[in-house]
Amino acid sequence: MPVFVLRRLVVSVFILLVSSFLIFFLVANSGDPLGDLRTDTSPNREQKIEHRIEKLHLDQPVPQRYMTWLGGVSKCAVPGLGCDLGQSVRDQDVSVLLSQALSATLQLVTAAIVLSIILGVTVGVVSSLRQYSGFDYTITFTAFLFFSLPVFWVAVLLKQYLAIEANDWYDDPKIGLTSTVVLSLLSGLFWGAILGGKRARRWIVRGTAAVLTAGLLQYLSAVEWFQRPALGPALIALLSFGTAVGLTALLAGLHRRNVLYGCLTTAAVGSVVQFPALNWIEDSTWASWTNVGLLALGAIAVAAVIGYFFGGLDRGPAIRACVLTALFTGAFMVTDILLRTVPSYSQKVNGRILATTGAETPDLNGTFWQNQLDQITHLILPTLAIMLISFATYSRYSRATMLDVMNQDYVRTARAKGLTERTVVVRHAFRNALIPLTTLAAVDLGVIVGGAVITEKVFARRGMGSLFVTALDQVDPNPVMGFYIVTAVSIVVFNMLADIAYAYLDPRIRLS
Amino acid sequence: MMTEHSGSTPQVPDNSADNSADSSKAPLLQVEDLTVRFPTEDGIVNAVRGVSYCLAEREVLGIVGESGSGKSVSSMAVMGLLPRSALISGRILLEGQDILKMSAKQQRSLRGRRVAMIFQDPMTALNPVYTIGDQLAEAVRSHAAIPKKAALARAAEMLDLVGIPQPKERLRAYPHEFSGGMRQRVMIAMAVINNPDIIIADEPTTALDVTVQAQILETLLEVKDAVNAAIILITHDLGVVAGMAHRVVVMYAGRPVEIGTTDEVFGSPRMPYTAGLLGSIPDLEATVDRLTPIPGAPPSLINLPKGCPFSPRCPLVEARCVDVEPDLQDTDQVSHLAACHRWPLVSQLEDPSVIFTPTKVGSL
Amino acid sequence: MPEIETTAAVPSAPADPPQQVEREFTIKAMTQRQLVFRRFFRHRGAMTALVVLGAAVLLAFSSIGVAGIPGWWDASYAEAGQVVSGGPTLDVLPSPIDGDGLQVGAHPFGQDDVGRDYFALTMRGMQRSLLIALLVGLTATVIGVVIGSLAGFFRGKIDAILMRVTDVILTIPLLLTAAVVGRTSDGGAVSLALLLGLIVWTSLARLVRGEFLSLREKEFVEAARALGASSTRIIFRHIVPNTLGTIIVNATLTIASAILLETALSFLGFGVQNPDTSLGKLISDYQTAFQTRPWLFWWPGLFIVLIALTINFIGDGLRDAFDPKQTRVRA
Ligand SMILES: Nc1ncnc2c1ncn2[C@@H]1O[C@H](COP(=O)(O)OP(=O)(O)OP(=O)(O)O)[C@@H](O)[C@H]1O
Ligand code: SF4
Ligand SMILES: [Mg+2]
Repeated sequence: MPVFVLRRLVVSVFILLVSSFLIFFLVANSGDPLGDLRTDTSPNREQKIEHRIEKLHLDQPVPQRYMTWLGGVSKCAVPGLGCDLGQSVRDQDVSVLLSQALSATLQLVTAAIVLSIILGVTVGVVSSLRQYSGFDYTITFTAFLFFSLPVFWVAVLLKQYLAIEANDWYDDPKIGLTSTVVLSLLSGLFWGAILGGKRARRWIVRGTAAVLTAGLLQYLSAVEWFQRPALGPALIALLSFGTAVGLTALLAGLHRRNVLYGCLTTAAVGSVVQFPALNWIEDSTWASWTNVGLLALGAIAVAAVIGYFFGGLDRGPAIRACVLTALFTGAFMVTDILLRTVPSYSQKVNGRILATTGAETPDLNGTFWQNQLDQITHLILPTLAIMLISFATYSRYSRATMLDVMNQDYVRTARAKGLTERTVVVRHAFRNALIPLTTLAAVDLGVIVGGAVITEKVFARRGMGSLFVTALDQVDPNPVMGFYIVTAVSIVVFNMLADIAYAYLDPRIRLS
Repeated sequence: MMTEHSGSTPQVPDNSADNSADSSKAPLLQVEDLTVRFPTEDGIVNAVRGVSYCLAEREVLGIVGESGSGKSVSSMAVMGLLPRSALISGRILLEGQDILKMSAKQQRSLRGRRVAMIFQDPMTALNPVYTIGDQLAEAVRSHAAIPKKAALARAAEMLDLVGIPQPKERLRAYPHEFSGGMRQRVMIAMAVINNPDIIIADEPTTALDVTVQAQILETLLEVKDAVNAAIILITHDLGVVAGMAHRVVVMYAGRPVEIGTTDEVFGSPRMPYTAGLLGSIPDLEATVDRLTPIPGAPPSLINLPKGCPFSPRCPLVEARCVDVEPDLQDTDQVSHLAACHRWPLVSQLEDPSVIFTPTKVGSL
Repeated sequence: MPEIETTAAVPSAPADPPQQVEREFTIKAMTQRQLVFRRFFRHRGAMTALVVLGAAVLLAFSSIGVAGIPGWWDASYAEAGQVVSGGPTLDVLPSPIDGDGLQVGAHPFGQDDVGRDYFALTMRGMQRSLLIALLVGLTATVIGVVIGSLAGFFRGKIDAILMRVTDVILTIPLLLTAAVVGRTSDGGAVSLALLLGLIVWTSLARLVRGEFLSLREKEFVEAARALGASSTRIIFRHIVPNTLGTIIVNATLTIASAILLETALSFLGFGVQNPDTSLGKLISDYQTAFQTRPWLFWWPGLFIVLIALTINFIGDGLRDAFDPKQTRVRA
């Protein structure tokens, strides 16, 4: 393995050299970096031009300029020498610009990509297990539609319609009769498709889901839940127990009683612990991600112990299921706090709770949780825009992979052994489908560093994408090259990680 | 023709001597009028059309027939492994209980515990990402609540039984580290690990090197004796059936066309198709013109012709063959059934495979 | 036991005499092609998409004409005119619903700020966008197939060099190259398309290479080689026909994504430039008009979605037709 990685590294460095020169050459020829100064009318025009020529080494021929740039860049590889990626035309250090842009981009893209992977893969797998069902057709059509949407067109629509409509609605958040009917019908269709079954059963599921949804919406609307949203201790406990059952069914099967009891115990502990825990992290002196993280670690430890003692013959799955139950319970608590922060936050932003530009409200001066909520409301729309395509990709890809894997002989063998359908799907099929999926995800993660160029532009966020577009627009070569080097290195590194992940997941590769 | 049956085949142990099929007891497995149909874009495929046979304890039943004759589909029905789209009717009685009427859960608990299956291609039948030990232990633990350690010990024991050296160490190996023959041994170990009553072996040696085929069959028979299981052996290889099976089912176009003891069916077939199968086996001792393949191809299972499905290819065809499909009926021999209107004629022939020798047809 | 060894052969499949092998193969290829066609024409999604796309293309080219041939729509996309009300006059709701019946009107898609007929403009944009997409697809496919097949067939040094070239292009984010290239181009649709074609061929090249690597080891290629066939003949007569599925499906999907890539570039200002136009350029030109005249934003966007969606569906139908095993579940 080390030899393999080393060889890949050497080849990659070589490839990076070639491609960087190519880009450098193209950028150098893409316009006149002095263009804006030539029409400048200020008295010190000549001086400015001179300054820029010197700074960008415009007096040198392109190859020599490239070598100068390369010299600066290569210092980044050795710690301590100080990274020199040059300066922008506005005299800013490119390395500083890049690090700001990179953190902004990661903040924007991480949630979107993680959510699309989880959602996309789940939906793709369910869709493959229900091949040629209504659900499958709907998902297929939706995925194709998402594939075919121009990102910025959708982004503008989201911003102009969704945000404005949602904010107007929030002035007086009541759910009218029409909305109730439409949402209930949709919910009925959704649950009918998810739960499947014979025709009669499906109609029962649809009807029940629709009626429950309608009742819930009207109830929430009547008690003014939307004005003062919260989960509340009872709902947190209920969700936690539900998660316990669901995770057991998924990870071990409900017939494994010891796993089920372990998870339920974890949920019970969580339901009790929520009272001190919520008080603690809600308190403004204590509220911080560090403390939330500490609580999470504590929860993991407790859950692991519970899983260990309840697990019996199924210790591994029991510990896993318990830990996940604990983490989900924690997530419900955080959601609860955030929801309860909404009214005070809404007052601060004049009721426009769905933000459309930037990464945060300027001069908010909020509490810790208000600031978190503020960042989230700014993330919602761009995250949706980014997720459209990623979700489509992952759902299609995982559907195709699962169909392929479910057709393999070893899945038939697994069935012939008398394993439960859950074990066949999760342990045998999905584990194999993970091999290409992980590769895809790793390669994808390498690309996201480049930022969501278009989404950033539409929602006025200052990430990698906007850094690049602005620089290219202003014929500012150094930031463009800086953008290139960060993205290219990340692509190379993540491709290598993809190979390593592949080798890790597939024993056939592992040895050679 | 029948030389390999009379003992000149040491690689395939001939155990027809200890024929344990006891006709007085209720059969272990009884398949009654099983039909399987698949709705497809082109129409309904009648893959299996009324299959009936029974299997006694410790018996070896051979199923032979051309590709597509429904051998795999009928045995997958016994395993409950057909796709959900399949339309199944008939009865499959395991010790008197109808598998088809059982809940999915009950069916699952039979699978791998009472009825086990060995597939054709060992190269793809094992999950590449888990160790041999894991996959064997899983088979045990899906039917019995025992610790993993105990399951692994059982797995090692089984590997030893099927003749894999250093079984304890091999538990940690991945399938790709094994040769095809060894993987098939692992599949055999997996099939018998829960002491099943029935092992269905669907062409267990077709994908293997000729040199290891005989060893695998031998292992299969040894293991069968170790766990006292009956075997349904599906194969294209008549020699193997002749050497191993107590009784034979010959299938054509989704139906059994001849059933009987191996000696009866192969020694004196009562149906032209079986005769043709026997004649199409090249025989080194005979002259070249003995090799007479059956001309033509099996009928489409979507639009079956009226009458006997073999009639388009049968040299003995006459008017009633085209009109009426013959039932499986008793013949002159005990427990020998054939589906042919003209079995009496076939029974009179010294060497029935002459039916397919063009020059001789006219004289019949 | 020699009998058993020889009887391992399937009884129903008597060995073909060797001289029949070549004929066998062509017969199989024929039925294979028929199967592909049949599966494709039975794919409901793909057939619907084909009809819709055909209608859209017909509309684009027949309405305002092409290459000097006039179409049936009188208004010109270039001439400014009197702004009547600006809004779309198209009405597809029959009179019982909204009272004024079906009508097309003078400006079905409305007018832009200087009074140009927006229907004509959109049709013109669609012609250019289709041209770009098709050109990108063609260029990329030709380059991808040539590079992939050379690398996969000859292996060794040629393979190493070509694949490193591919790697070089793959390390650069697509939008970066596209933007730099778009910026370098003169802003005309054709030159933009050709330049984009020069950079989006990499995934196809890799796929084709992979197929070549596996196909060149197959028996029929070995046989052709043993008979002394030249490399060109082997490549074009024996291997390329077997990779056709991959190539066609990929080309289709490239065309769909090229439409979207052009849109993205035009939005960023690195795509098609005046005086040329495209659907992407129309939306980005009029995005600021969203509040006042939203139809200027709606129409071109809808047509982009329509084209990309139908082409994606056709690609899916083709994939199913060429490779049914990927989508059919056995158990
Ligand atoms: N899932 C399915 N859908 C439609 N048709 C099927 C399906 N499975 C099997 N068939 C059809 O059923 C028929 C019988 O198939 P089967 O696999 O039982 O044949 P076989 O006798 O085992 O042949 P072989 O010797 O090639 O294994 C074939 O014509 C096959 O095409
Ligand atoms: S019934 Fe007639 S056609 Fe069928 S096998 Fe017998 S003789 Fe031949
Ligand atoms: Mg079969």
